[in-house]
Amino acid sequence: MSARHAASLALLAVVALATGFVLAGQIKAQLLTPSNQVARYQALVRSVQELEATNADSRRQIAALRGQIDALESEAAARSAETQALRNQVSDLRAHAGLVAVHGPGVKVDLRNGFPGPDTGGQTGYLINFQDVQDVVNLLFAQGAEGVAVNDRRITPLTAFSGSAGEIVIDQGPPQSSPIRIIAVGDRNRMVAALDDPSELPGIRARQIQFQLHMTFEGSPNLSLPPYDSSLQITHVSPA
Amino acid sequence: MSARPRSTGRRPSRGRGVSVWLIALLVALVATIQLRSEAEVQRSLVGTDATALAFLIDDLHQANDSLDKEKADLTSLRTRLQSGQSGAADQVLNSEADRLRAIEGLIPVHGPGVVIEIDASGLTALDLQDTLNNLAAGGAEAIDVNGHRLVMGVPVYQTSGGVAIDGVTVSPPWTITVIGDPNRLGLIADLMAQQLRADRRVRQATYRIETDVVIRSVISEKPFVYAVPS
Repeated sequence: MSARHAASLALLAVVALATGFVLAGQIKAQLLTPSNQVARYQALVRSVQELEATNADSRRQIAALRGQIDALESEAAARSAETQALRNQVSDLRAHAGLVAVHGPGVKVDLRNGFPGPDTGGQTGYLINFQDVQDVVNLLFAQGAEGVAVNDRRITPLTAFSGSAGEIVIDQGPPQSSPIRIIAVGDRNRMVAALDDPSELPGIRARQIQFQLHMTFEGSPNLSLPPYDSSLQITHVSPA
Repeated sequence: MSARPRSTGRRPSRGRGVSVWLIALLVALVATIQLRSEAEVQRSLVGTDATALAFLIDDLHQANDSLDKEKADLTSLRTRLQSGQSGAADQVLNSEADRLRAIEGLIPVHGPGVVIEIDASGLTALDLQDTLNNLAAGGAEAIDVNGHRLVMGVPVYQTSGGVAIDGVTVSPPWTITVIGDPNRLGLIADLMAQQLRADRRVRQATYRIETDVVIRSVISEKPFVYAVPS
């Protein structure tokens, strides 16, 4: 190959590479020019991710502390019958408050987002929202559930649901989004019958037709629920 | 001898072709990586807007503060139990039992809070469930509706006679007594009262903040029939 050929090839390569970078840079600049919204957005996303990591870490620590306390109480109970009786009472109360893992017969309910329709404008009816989860949980409790967990977050007597479109916040947990799995342990037959009843969960059923929102359920002879791993504080209530 | 000139004549052409392909591949690679990274950002922007993220950050800060308090309380509890002092375990267990009984609605309680009065016709179980959930999200620690104690898990459902709480029909007007942080609950109650007043079914919706309200209603203990603690 002559030196002239080699030079022309190198020139071609440099020009093509530069063209590629210029093109990509131009596209990027056009996406970003209106404001620095992407950079700001990324900073917000980073904050959320850091806070979620802290949240998960705190919940792990809380679960570990509860385990250690349980072991210490067990040691104390082994030394005194009175303490043992007290511990039995507290264990039962903890189980009912959702602080203890339980298993038994029950149902699994799966909820998934549907699809936005062509003429729905800005509506978000195709997204699973916190009211959908709240409605299913309430129905299950009304029909014999003794314990419920949503995406492995245990429901307690003080549980609250919140969030915005497509985002479900349960107590102090990070937001959850579709797919959502609700597991309830309790009277399996009653719960399945209620979920099968077309008059129940009217909001979800209407959107199943309109947006192909997805809801399926199945009974099972043995399901497990994890213990609650967040804060269960009451600071304003005192026994009357 | 005749192959050699052909060979020397083909080599630059093949080399040039490979170079052009390599360059094209490189350009395509760079452009694809650039465009895909932009597309990723664009996709995530579709999911949640910046305002929603800001609210989420606020919620997570509050949540993490609550978790920190819980950790501090549990650590202090563990220290008391580790001290091995006589009666320490019994004290801890007694106080935990009282706390859990209050949480589960098994004992009468009192404390600061709000009292909400709603007079309406045609409100459904879903309306009451939403109201109760809003109050729980606002930090309610104990709730009573017309003398019926409510916690998550107490059945609230629609019957032909109206809204039933644990099998008993609760007719309007509803008096909802709530114990919790009066400032937060006051804000929630104010928002709720405004929304309710805009509802044609509602004749009246008022609330008042109280320094001490008493809830005497209790939930009767129900042993597990199906669930087995692990």
